[in-house]
Amino acid sequence: MLTYIIRRILILIPMLFGISFLVYLGLEFTPGDAVSHMIPPDLANQVSAEKLEAIRESLGLNKSFLHRYWSWLSHAVRGDFGHSISGGVSISKIVLDRLPATLELSAAALIISTILGIMLGTYSALHKGTYTDSGLTAVGMLGVSIPEFFFGLVAILIFALKLGWLPVGGRLMPGMESWIDHLPNIILPALVLSLMMTAGVMRYSRSSMLDALNKEFVKTARAKGMPEWRVNFLHGFRVALTPVVVIIGFRLPTLIGGSVIIEEVFQWPGVGAEFIQAVRGQDYPLVMMIALFSVFAMLMASLIVDVLTAWIDPRVRLGEE
Amino acid sequence: MVSKALNKKFDRIKAREEYGIEPKRVRSRALRKLLSNRLAVVGLIIFSIITLASIFAPLLTQWDPGKINLRAMLQPPSAEHWFGTDKTGRDVFARVLYGGRVSILVGLGSALLSAIVGVSIGLYAGYRGGWFDTVTLRISELFMAFPQIILVLMLVSIVGQSLFNLIIIFVVSGWGAMYRLARARMLSLREEEYVQALQSFGLSTARICYKHVLPNTLGPIMVNITLTTAMFILAEAGLSFLGLGVPLSIPTWGNILNVAQDIRVLQNNWWMWLPVGAIISLFVLSVNFIGDGLRDSADPNLQG
Repeated sequence: MLTYIIRRILILIPMLFGISFLVYLGLEFTPGDAVSHMIPPDLANQVSAEKLEAIRESLGLNKSFLHRYWSWLSHAVRGDFGHSISGGVSISKIVLDRLPATLELSAAALIISTILGIMLGTYSALHKGTYTDSGLTAVGMLGVSIPEFFFGLVAILIFALKLGWLPVGGRLMPGMESWIDHLPNIILPALVLSLMMTAGVMRYSRSSMLDALNKEFVKTARAKGMPEWRVNFLHGFRVALTPVVVIIGFRLPTLIGGSVIIEEVFQWPGVGAEFIQAVRGQDYPLVMMIALFSVFAMLMASLIVDVLTAWIDPRVRLGEE
Repeated sequence: MVSKALNKKFDRIKAREEYGIEPKRVRSRALRKLLSNRLAVVGLIIFSIITLASIFAPLLTQWDPGKINLRAMLQPPSAEHWFGTDKTGRDVFARVLYGGRVSILVGLGSALLSAIVGVSIGLYAGYRGGWFDTVTLRISELFMAFPQIILVLMLVSIVGQSLFNLIIIFVVSGWGAMYRLARARMLSLREEEYVQALQSFGLSTARICYKHVLPNTLGPIMVNITLTTAMFILAEAGLSFLGLGVPLSIPTWGNILNVAQDIRVLQNNWWMWLPVGAIISLFVLSVNFIGDGLRDSADPNLQG
């Protein structure tokens, strides 16, 4: 098991190198360099060209591309991710400030979609061929076809503007710091964000459950006269659940991608909303670093999923040796 | 009971055959399976209606999508303006029709281009193996490690906004999946006897890849193109809604929805965004129906 984990981590390292190189290459193609961002445009004319050159020399900007990449990378590994152009705040501080909101929203959506998806999918499989089953399948199709942000807009219109049950958006009001206080604020974005994932989990757990129910040992249990609910839940459900756990890990890109737009729609002050602000304001270093963090998060998630799968199913880790 | 119903059905078919009125059947087995899938047919009909309505937009509406008419601002839907008018008096129905042209072009065009790029590299790499295969595989892994929207937004910030750029960016973010698919198919087809026969005849690599193996990979690739089209149409709508996709001067479905970021429009002028959103959902739904139908009809395991 340990060797498996170590091997999986070793595979990640060249991957991270490649990604960081790609991101730095992108940074290289953006207009301007660190010096032109440091000096306000109206002052740029007063600074002599020699002086600009001297600053560039002292910052090491005249060195070769690979050299600069290496120094950028070694800073990044030590936790120094540079500064945002607008405001000059350090990027790690911006991201750390925004991260709790994003994690809170993602976790809520992940929990809702997992519970709802597995429940509906299992129900669908146990009632295969009925109107409820086809109805749920159709709703699932609709769930992956409606643009998430449009669904969010409709939800805001109905529940916030017309009925007035829930706030339009935002997270923390002054004087309301505990999570109980902003529970009403998180309900709408979390439900909207979980829509697409619920549809996916539902579809997958339905087919996984159907698969399990067709296995020989389920038939044996039934033949022995076990009560139907015991067959379904102790034999079918438990076996069906394993691949579903894996698919939840693979939903992470959907979650990260969806949260970017949903955070913007609901004015949720997370990393996604910050990313969009950075793209709008052409704050290149911030854009690149957030992109890098998101890739890192995804690689970590896939690592965890792989390890979990190997832990649940020994065939995976033994198969590779 | 089942067999009784089945017997009845066969009797009916037999009777019709005897009278010589059995309808002519569609030749291609895959097409026949697709047409017998009710949802796929519904999808095809909705898809065709929306696409044709966009193409023949000038015949369906007399309004110019870009023409500002300050005397007809913010009118609710009426017999004259079917979907009402927006803040500058432009006809929303005309904008939806003309916007469909660009949105469908971006979705379908990017999906087709991704397929062309991904499949041609994937087939070649899968067949040749060696360093070309290793390098392209690693590159595709790098691109696929990004969450799609993050990669797209990052590239938008580097190259800037335009219709052409957006299509290129979509291709950059979408070719990897097609490449993977084509390469995997090639790896198994490479071992088939007919490919080895072609090799022994001395056919060139390109001929074997693109003339003889390509047709055998088209089924799953077609399915993937459909699903990718749906994904790109959603992506375009999302990006343009944020104001980061197609430039606002060009009407697209996403750009029409852009006004809904204003909460007053959201509350008071539902006709400016609700019908467009419904049409995007309907269109993507129809594409997904077609994709599902194609998957069932292209899968040899399910072929009857």
